[in-house]
Amino acid sequence: MSRPAHRTLAEHLRALPDEELAALLRARPDLAVPVPIDVSVLASRAQTRMSVARALDHLDLFTLEILDGLRLHEKTSVDALGALAGTGAPEAAVREAVKTLTTLGIVWPDGDHLRVTAAADETCSPYPAGLGRPMSALVTTYSTAQLAPILDALSLPPTSQPEAGALLAEAFGERHRVQHLVNLAPPEAQAVLRKLAEGPPLGAVREARRSVPAAETDTPVRWLLAHGLLMALDDDSVELPREVGLVLREANVLGELHPSPPEIPSVKQPDADRAGSGQATEVLRLVDAVLEACAADPPGVLRSGGIGVRDTRRLAKSAGVDEPSLPLLLELARSAGLLDDTGSGDPEWLPTPGYDTWTGETQEVRWAWIARAWLGMTRLPGLIGQRDDKDRIIAPLSFDAERVSAPELRRMTLAVLAGLPKNAAAGPQDVLSLLHWRSPRRGGRRREDAVRWALGEAAILGVTGRGALTSYGRALLAGTDPAPVLAAQLPDPLDHVLVQADLTVVAPGPLQPELAAQLALVADVESAGSATVYRVTPASVRRALDAGRSASDLHLLFKERSRTAVPQALTYLIDDVARRHGGLRSGSASAYLRSDDETLLTEILADRRCEALRLRRLAPTVLISTATPNRLIDGLRTAGYAPVIEDEFGTLVLSRPDARRAAPRPRLTRPGADLPTLSDDQLTEAVRAVRRGDDAARSARRAPVTTLDAPGATAATAIAVLQQAARERRQVWLGYVDPHGGTLRRLLRPLSIGAGYLRADDENADITLTIALHRITSAILTDEPAAADS
Amino acid sequence: MTDGPLIVQSDKTLLLEIDHKDSSACRQAIAPFAELERAPEHVHTYRLTPLGLWNARAAGHDAESVVDALVRFSRYAVPHALLVDVADTMDRYGRLQLLNHPVHGLALHALDRAVLAEVIRNRKIAPMLGDRVDEDTMAVHPSERGRLKQALLKVGWPAEDLAGYVDGEAHQIDLKEDGWTLRDYQRHAVEGFWAGGSGVVVLPCGAGKTLVGAAAMAEAKATTLILVTNTVAGRQWKRELVARTTLTEDEIGEYSGERKEIRPVTIATYQVMTTRRKGEYRHLELFGARDWGLIVYDEVHLLPAPIFRLTADLQSRRRLGLTATLVREDGREGDVFSLIGPKRYDAPWKDIEAQGWIAPAECVEVRVTLTDAERMAYATAEPEERYKVASTARTKLPVVSKLVERHPDEPVLVIGAYLGQLDDLAAELDAPIIQGSTTNKERERLFGLFREGKIRTLVVSKVANFSIDLPEAAVAIQVSGTFGSRQEEAQRLGRVLRPKADHRQAHFYTVVSRDTLDSEYAAHRQRFLAEQGYSYTIVDADDVLGPPLPEVP
Repeated sequence: MSRPAHRTLAEHLRALPDEELAALLRARPDLAVPVPIDVSVLASRAQTRMSVARALDHLDLFTLEILDGLRLHEKTSVDALGALAGTGAPEAAVREAVKTLTTLGIVWPDGDHLRVTAAADETCSPYPAGLGRPMSALVTTYSTAQLAPILDALSLPPTSQPEAGALLAEAFGERHRVQHLVNLAPPEAQAVLRKLAEGPPLGAVREARRSVPAAETDTPVRWLLAHGLLMALDDDSVELPREVGLVLREANVLGELHPSPPEIPSVKQPDADRAGSGQATEVLRLVDAVLEACAADPPGVLRSGGIGVRDTRRLAKSAGVDEPSLPLLLELARSAGLLDDTGSGDPEWLPTPGYDTWTGETQEVRWAWIARAWLGMTRLPGLIGQRDDKDRIIAPLSFDAERVSAPELRRMTLAVLAGLPKNAAAGPQDVLSLLHWRSPRRGGRRREDAVRWALGEAAILGVTGRGALTSYGRALLAGTDPAPVLAAQLPDPLDHVLVQADLTVVAPGPLQPELAAQLALVADVESAGSATVYRVTPASVRRALDAGRSASDLHLLFKERSRTAVPQALTYLIDDVARRHGGLRSGSASAYLRSDDETLLTEILADRRCEALRLRRLAPTVLISTATPNRLIDGLRTAGYAPVIEDEFGTLVLSRPDARRAAPRPRLTRPGADLPTLSDDQLTEAVRAVRRGDDAARSARRAPVTTLDAPGATAATAIAVLQQAARERRQVWLGYVDPHGGTLRRLLRPLSIGAGYLRADDENADITLTIALHRITSAILTDEPAAADS
Repeated sequence: MTDGPLIVQSDKTLLLEIDHKDSSACRQAIAPFAELERAPEHVHTYRLTPLGLWNARAAGHDAESVVDALVRFSRYAVPHALLVDVADTMDRYGRLQLLNHPVHGLALHALDRAVLAEVIRNRKIAPMLGDRVDEDTMAVHPSERGRLKQALLKVGWPAEDLAGYVDGEAHQIDLKEDGWTLRDYQRHAVEGFWAGGSGVVVLPCGAGKTLVGAAAMAEAKATTLILVTNTVAGRQWKRELVARTTLTEDEIGEYSGERKEIRPVTIATYQVMTTRRKGEYRHLELFGARDWGLIVYDEVHLLPAPIFRLTADLQSRRRLGLTATLVREDGREGDVFSLIGPKRYDAPWKDIEAQGWIAPAECVEVRVTLTDAERMAYATAEPEERYKVASTARTKLPVVSKLVERHPDEPVLVIGAYLGQLDDLAAELDAPIIQGSTTNKERERLFGLFREGKIRTLVVSKVANFSIDLPEAAVAIQVSGTFGSRQEEAQRLGRVLRPKADHRQAHFYTVVSRDTLDSEYAAHRQRFLAEQGYSYTIVDADDVLGPPLPEVP
């Protein structure tokens, strides 16, 4: 059955049934936005490089290998292609691949043949199926002199370029000739050829361009170069011509094909969930420690965003985190919205209010919060600490670690693990090889790093345990809530602790948040992890007392929550600290009143007239007041007492009532004779400026005034003024908008108007300007007479 | 979720819950590689350190058994990074070996070529190595054996010393087990040491370290140099050796400030070894004076730095370190490891106590309230005088004499740091005093009387901190100390922890002035003792002084 001929993609698309057209748009959504106006627009859009590249990114290794086959042999039929693939791939797989390519509109049937969109060549490697370019393309860079020894070696008549190249290309077009040549090659040279024939067809050779006569070759590669079996690309690389590659590959024209994905040897890790849950609690603790360290001594924000080296080191130390893992923790905290910069004039990194919400949640919810942020974050923490293109070290939280492709890569990586059976682990190399088969074109040059990083991060977060995806990691990837799944793995929070005689309090597991908060107040954390060791110190007890707890509160806390008897040492410690707590009191007062006569002070305190002074007794001989000393003295004097003031050393301050006087003010000194002298130039310039200003003022007063922004004024009137000025060679004050949008006023002498532009002389600056008419806002004729015509 | 007794923290501490049914099995599993840091009543804290792990490697444990022990007993998931770190660290020990090459003599042999390449490039190590013997072996200058081990430990590749030892000059020494035998743990300690060749035995004060030394000598049957902290300790060693071995007085020499005897068994003090005249160590040649077959270091944790330097040159002789604690206040544990040798035996105090060899002690802190005048004197004292003012308060005197009265039939030691206070106490208690200026002869006379029970109470100064042996001191009363040093604490407790003839309880009292620096230091002490697992009670001086309050029903 012969199919209709479609020489272009447009013709093919036009002939497609609606559902197949819809399938194309579904597979390549970028073609549908905005909706193309007709099929020819759709077809041309489908053949743009960007769009084709995007479509190819989603294809697996085998489909791309088949596409290479189609590129290699234009206008092949599907059957012929199957033959090309040879024994390397089952025919059904080839058909399936062709179908995928057709659906995507990258390949279309033209009669019995298949056509490939030209953009595929532009976006794919120039070496389809790992074969070099044809000889005809390779000879073009050779000069006549460089080709001469090759022609000689092949017993071809000497001639000059381009005929020489054509001759060579023609010779290589004959398969048996190439075969003969290959057979002639020394065994080492044949080995080189076979290596290059497997692809890629490029090799590095020093002084590749140096032409050596065939008889004088010293190395296998030189021999090949001298016989045209290798062609030099430049001074240090060579390429295997396609014709030679095809001869060497014999029947396997497309090289080795990969019709099915590589097998991943997976190892069962039955306790993956348990190992992962350990990491999950650990990462929560670390994130918490880092955020607490940030809160205690906030690191500054670098000008490039991010945190400086010194701050990073300090943070790692105070948070007790090893330096290499700090960047990830910081990035997680920021992506989870727990850390942000303050943004003001001197910005710092501080925990957000979200952090307080986060700390109040249960472990599994906190983990889900962080893990979701990780999955979606457009950052590659692995980049941190490496050097960027400008050889600067990439700082944590800086913009340089931003990669939009990061979430997709992360998902791709986890998807490989998710595709394995439950609790099966796979190493990074296996994951990479599978990813390479699934979508060889995706991920860019950082892919290998990014995948390894993603796996490393997943292990740190507990998304994987011992290399296998955990059940909650699976839930996270599937978009369901991982918290309940994780909760089943986490130990139940405890409501008790063990108190010991060395004043340590051991929480043998995670504590209920409320109990943890209480203990954090009354004791210092000494060791954290699955369990927590607190130490009660005098300082920590004082902290609790300062926060309003009483000694009996603390006794009760330990009595109720300790599963062991409260040691006597702790009881003593709390009582000792409590006894001294508040033994010193401090407050503010603005004046004191002291007297050796206790009765006198008692009398004043009892005196109703002194109530306004708000006196309070501190000691038998001391009263204090919140009133100022002067008011206190005045008040007491009014009440009939006889107080005196003393200074800070206790000496008496005698004062006489001051007569009222105006406050002295510094007087301005009269300008003296020492003014700067001006040079003649400066004076001339000043005069000119005054004249210009004067002209402007007068022009403003006098008609004819033409301003475009004045009501009724039109461009036409302004142009009329300018034309008049040009005719009479008079100066105008011209207002116009400069290229930066600013409005300027300039005294100009118009020369001509035409083609939408005004040409005018600026006599002050001695230049000629060209100004677009639409930029002119006003034109005012000066009353200066016409310039003396030169 | 298993329900193990162990919690592995990511900061490399291990928490062991004592009341758990599997706790003793777990303790046995982790003891070889984890160092017991604290042993209070409920939860013991162990720590994983590189030295501890290497000690375990030296004792033949491998990383798998360590990881297995951690995972098996752990209650929660063990942080993966920690397991990896443990395996990595342990794997570093023994990649390099010191061997006796049949042709080239002492040689450094690598089981891992990359490690050898790494250490050769080290600037400090390169000069100690000689020619390359083959791809994996470098010759080593025999004089650098010790320093090389030190340097390798510093770069994190501790070498296993398989180069063997010289036998030394033979000298017949046997244990004289008449009516007594080595205790089990002492025998295990000696066996561990002898199998390893060189190393440290850790036993608490009073657990019979001297006997371990004597047994090691009987094993070596060679001339022996014993290094001790001071003369009194040396005499004690001599007495013990004469009593417990076939050695006679004439075979044992004393090399101290007073006497310079070199005999088949010579006991020298650290002090005389490190005496310098005109910037030179005068007595170092003692090390070369005889062909010693064994060198015993008493109280290794006090070993002075110059002795370390010397020991580096003595790597071909068997070395036995004896100590109650590997914790050195100067942090030179690594030097002990590389120069004396890895830990060969360690037993937790409490375990030995449970076996009944050392007396269980009751620790009591008695708090006295200063009089107003004393408080004022304390409040206005110069900062450097404050501790002295607080700890020497006269208010303590009646409390001490009351405490002495409480134990009418038991030998009592009163320990202090300030001479004036000790004089006052001696007068108050009518007891003889031993201090730095007391001659050795007088000391020994008094100790003799004390041992025989003719003197019931002794007042001693800091000298008591060092290895004197007071077998029947059942009660120790401490009135002032040296700023709460942990080491001093171990020593003082050791004074009373000697085995009692009748298994009576030992008492350790500390008299402390309330609300002063004295009580702050007491808090350190309290922490140390509690961490060692001793019960610690605080009582008020009034409870000691006054008549007992009538019981109110």
